[in-house]
Amino acid sequence: MPVPASRPYRDLKRAIRPGDWLTMLAAVAVILVLFESLWLGETASKVQIRAGNQIHSTLSINQQRVVEVPGPLGITTVVIDHGKARVASDPGARQYCVKQGWLDQAGQVAMCLPNQVSVELLGSRKIHDSLNY
Amino acid sequence: MVFALSACGREPVYQSQSYVFGTLVDITIYGEEKNRAAELASRIQQDFQRLHQKLHAWDESSELSRINRAIAAGESVNIDSEMANILEHAGKLSAVSNDLFNPAIGGLIQQWGFQRDSFSAVEIDPDAIKALVAANPRMEDIRIERHDDGITLSSRNPAVRLDLGGYAKGYALDRAAAYLKSEQAKNALINIGGNIIALGKHGERPWHVGIQHPRKSGAIASLDLEDGWAIGTSGDYQRYFELDGTRYCHVLDPRSGYPARHLQAVTVLLPPDALAGTHSDADSKPLFITEPENRKAMAQQLGLTHYMMIDRTGNISVSAPMQKRLKWKTDAGTRIQTLP
Repeated sequence: MPVPASRPYRDLKRAIRPGDWLTMLAAVAVILVLFESLWLGETASKVQIRAGNQIHSTLSINQQRVVEVPGPLGITTVVIDHGKARVASDPGARQYCVKQGWLDQAGQVAMCLPNQVSVELLGSRKIHDSLNY
Repeated sequence: MVFALSACGREPVYQSQSYVFGTLVDITIYGEEKNRAAELASRIQQDFQRLHQKLHAWDESSELSRINRAIAAGESVNIDSEMANILEHAGKLSAVSNDLFNPAIGGLIQQWGFQRDSFSAVEIDPDAIKALVAANPRMEDIRIERHDDGITLSSRNPAVRLDLGGYAKGYALDRAAAYLKSEQAKNALINIGGNIIALGKHGERPWHVGIQHPRKSGAIASLDLEDGWAIGTSGDYQRYFELDGTRYCHVLDPRSGYPARHLQAVTVLLPPDALAGTHSDADSKPLFITEPENRKAMAQQLGLTHYMMIDRTGNISVSAPMQKRLKWKTDAGTRIQTLP
C-alpha cells in the first residue's frame, strides 16, 4: 500500500512552480560555471602585453584584434583571437616567442626578449605569483 | 561580499617590471604603502642597472670588459672590493663544481655566439673551439691581491675571459633581498630572468611560483616559495639556436667546449641563506652539464638537497625533498621518478 506523502511535502510540491524549477536549474548552472572559471581558474580572460619597463596594454582575450607593440628592434605583432593569443611576428633573430604559437591558458607567457616585449595570459585569479624559467 | 571585493581591490601589492641583464625583471612587494613600495623597487632597479653595467661581459665600457682586456694583455689591473668578492666567490663555486661552473670561459661563449643581445646560428668552428678548450682557462688562474692602497687582479693564463652570466642575476637577487630586509620590508618576490627569491609571504599565504615546462607554454609544476628560499633553472629552451636539426643551448661544457646535451632543464631550490640567490643561479649549471651517472655525487658536492631534472626525452627525476614541495600539473603524468 503506497504511503501518502506527508502534508508539508505535498504543500511544498504544490508551492514550487515550473518557473521555480527553472530558476533552481539556472542557479546550479551558474554555480558550475563559477566553479569552473573561478576555482579551476585556468581559463584566460585577459592578455597583458609588456614593453620594456611598461605595461603596454591589458586587453580582453575574447575579441579579435591585432596589436602592434614597439620595442628597441622594431614592431612585435600580437594577435588576439577569441580566447587565444600569439606573437605573430617579432624582429628578434631567434623567434622563440613566435615559434611558441597560440597561448590559451592563464599563466602562459611568450617572451620576445631582444625586443623587450612579453605577452602573458591572465585568468580570473593568478595561478602563481611568478614564473621560474 | 561587497566588502570582500573591495578588500580584494585594495590588496597591498606593488609590482614593478623592467628589462635588465638582457631579460625581464619583476619586483613584487606586498604589504607596504604604495609610495614606499615604489621607492624600494626603484632603488632595487637602480642597483640592478648598476650591476648590469659593471658585470656586462661584452659591453666594452663595462668594468668586467676592462678586466678582460687587461688579462688578455697579460697586465695586472686595479679592481674594487665588490668585484674582488664576486670573483673570489665565483672561484670557490667553480672549484667545488670541478670547474663545470666556469666563469672563465667567456672566450668559448663568444665563439658560440651567445655573447650577443640577439644571436642567431653560428658557423661552428671545431678548430677554434679545440684551441679555446686546450688553453684551459680557469678561475684558479686568477690572482687577487689586497694591498694597503687597493686590490689588484692578474691572471697567469691570458686565455681567461670572465663571463658572469651564471652568477650575476643570482648575486643581484641576494643584494635586493638584503636591501629589503635592511629597510624592514618583509614581503617581496623578485624575479630576474626566471631566477626567483622570496621574502615573507603574499598576505596570509606563501608566495607561489610556477616552473616553466621546457617544451610547452605554461608551467610543468608549481610550489610555495617560502621566506628566504630561492629557485633557479638552467634550460636548453631560453637561449639556443638550431643548426641542421640539432639544438645548441647556451650552457657550454668547459671540458669539450660544446653545449651540454644531456638534459632539457635542471631546477634547483635553495633554502634561506645570504647567498641563496647566487646559488640558485650558479648551482644548476654543473648538474646540467655533468654526466647522468655523476649527478648525484655532484648534487652532494654542491650541497643541493632540492633539485629536479628533465632529460632529453622529457622524463623527470626529482630529489625526494623536492618532490614533497612540488604540485604537478596534470600533464606531467607518469614520467616522474623520485630519486633515492
